[in-house]
Amino acid sequence: MSITVPQEELVKPTAHRVILPFYIYSALSFLIATSLLFFSSESVTQHFFNPKLLAITHTIALGWGTMMILGASHLLVPVLIQGKLYSTALAYTSFVFAASGIPILAYHFYYFDFGWMTQLGALLINAAVMVYVINLAMSMIKSKKENVHAAFIFTAALWLLITTMLGLLLVCNFVDPLLPQNSTYYLSLHANIGVVGWFLLLIIGVGSRLIPMFLVSKYSNASLLWVIYALINFSLLLFFFLFLYWPFSTWYFIPVAAIFVAIFLFMFYCYQCFKSRIRKKIDEQLKSSLLSVLLMGISILVLITLIAGYTLSHATNTVFALLYGFVVFFGWLTVLIFGMTFKTLPFIIWDKVYQVQSGKGTTPNPKSLFSSRIFTMMVLVYLSGFLMFAIGIFFASNTLLKIASFFLLVSALLYNWNVFKTILHKKIKP
Amino acid sequence: MNETTNDPIRCDRALNALEEIIDPEIGLNIVDLGLIYELDFDDANSILKVVMTLTTPHCPMGESITGSVKTVLKNHFPEMEIFLELTFFPPWNLEKISDEGREFINQ
Repeated sequence: MSITVPQEELVKPTAHRVILPFYIYSALSFLIATSLLFFSSESVTQHFFNPKLLAITHTIALGWGTMMILGASHLLVPVLIQGKLYSTALAYTSFVFAASGIPILAYHFYYFDFGWMTQLGALLINAAVMVYVINLAMSMIKSKKENVHAAFIFTAALWLLITTMLGLLLVCNFVDPLLPQNSTYYLSLHANIGVVGWFLLLIIGVGSRLIPMFLVSKYSNASLLWVIYALINFSLLLFFFLFLYWPFSTWYFIPVAAIFVAIFLFMFYCYQCFKSRIRKKIDEQLKSSLLSVLLMGISILVLITLIAGYTLSHATNTVFALLYGFVVFFGWLTVLIFGMTFKTLPFIIWDKVYQVQSGKGTTPNPKSLFSSRIFTMMVLVYLSGFLMFAIGIFFASNTLLKIASFFLLVSALLYNWNVFKTILHKKIKP
Repeated sequence: MNETTNDPIRCDRALNALEEIIDPEIGLNIVDLGLIYELDFDDANSILKVVMTLTTPHCPMGESITGSVKTVLKNHFPEMEIFLELTFFPPWNLEKISDEGREFINQ
């Protein structure tokens, strides 16, 4: 017996014109964020709640990380849920809302203005996330096929919505007190839900599907992934509860331990994929993605130190708070995006340029659409900058922070150069 | 050879032609990747039926790969009408990669 699929029903991948704006926006945001960091590196030695850092953090978390993930997820959702994306119009709408909301928010944060324009920026970002959640939910309802990866991606989107809604509430609370405490009190709740609920959950959900695919590995373990899923969500719910009803409690170690175990299990999953891979040679992009898994572990170790200090002294240690934010956004997320950009973008462009030509002669390998030499240079410059910056935070050295941020800026320039080289690729005639 | 056919000689010709088509992500041709299940030559009706699969039901490169299969086969068998049947039963898995394919991936 064979179950056949008529050719006409072959699900078309999400069109490149839906995905590319997210990639371009994200690349430019990375350049802007590293430029801001370079010109205001001294702000890192101040308290973590200062206008410049607030602007940089939101540019990197929303403009760079979230926009890239939203773009990639519009491409990968059909693969993950085994059905097509419900609406490209909703994907565009989500882009337009986010693309206009992020700069408004970041600009006004930079000037420490929490007026109606900042609230409008936050509102637009919420609208973008809401539209994304609707698109995702409708795609999943239509697909009717459930799997662990889809559960990760949808739950992550819900946590993102909670994060941005809380963000909007905090912005409004600065002007008109709506919450029992001032907005800075809720920052760690806002940040941790965003980092763990959105980024960690989504990255594990998508990574657990892509890593074996890119390694050509036969390892799969849905039960293990469900355990990781349960641990992360349990941790988030418990953290939420403790934060609201039992602050400064030593019980905080339970959600942190749950996250630690979840990350450890994900590392084990990646290791099993790596061990049973058919492709023995690992390319630079995948090495970069695997390095980000390690940085994920390092960020949780910094978080443990931060929480230990918080429960013992009832105050947040500025150095460890900055280090945590830096390792998460500029370490784990950035290194992951480096790898994943050049694992997905060349295929999107290759498909756009050469699809009509396929089968009619030789076409270039998608990997040749970007410069692997520039990629390697970018990673090396970046890692040097990353290490120097982390040391600079620790020793509050303005000189080291300035030099390191210059390295990060150069890596952003190299990244953009390679992204635009790929996007602007012209067809090579056979 | 894992593919089934009613005409081994022309099947070899067709498979050689299909080896031109590379799965861009894995970097391996679709024959060694094990995507081709069946090739049937129906001379009475001038139809060449190819039964094939994809590595995943919603492979982003699916349209490109199936389009290439039709183009390549039409170029090599212009007298036949190409009928492509996509199936996911049995689903593709890594065991379907040929030994030559495994060697090639690691070159």
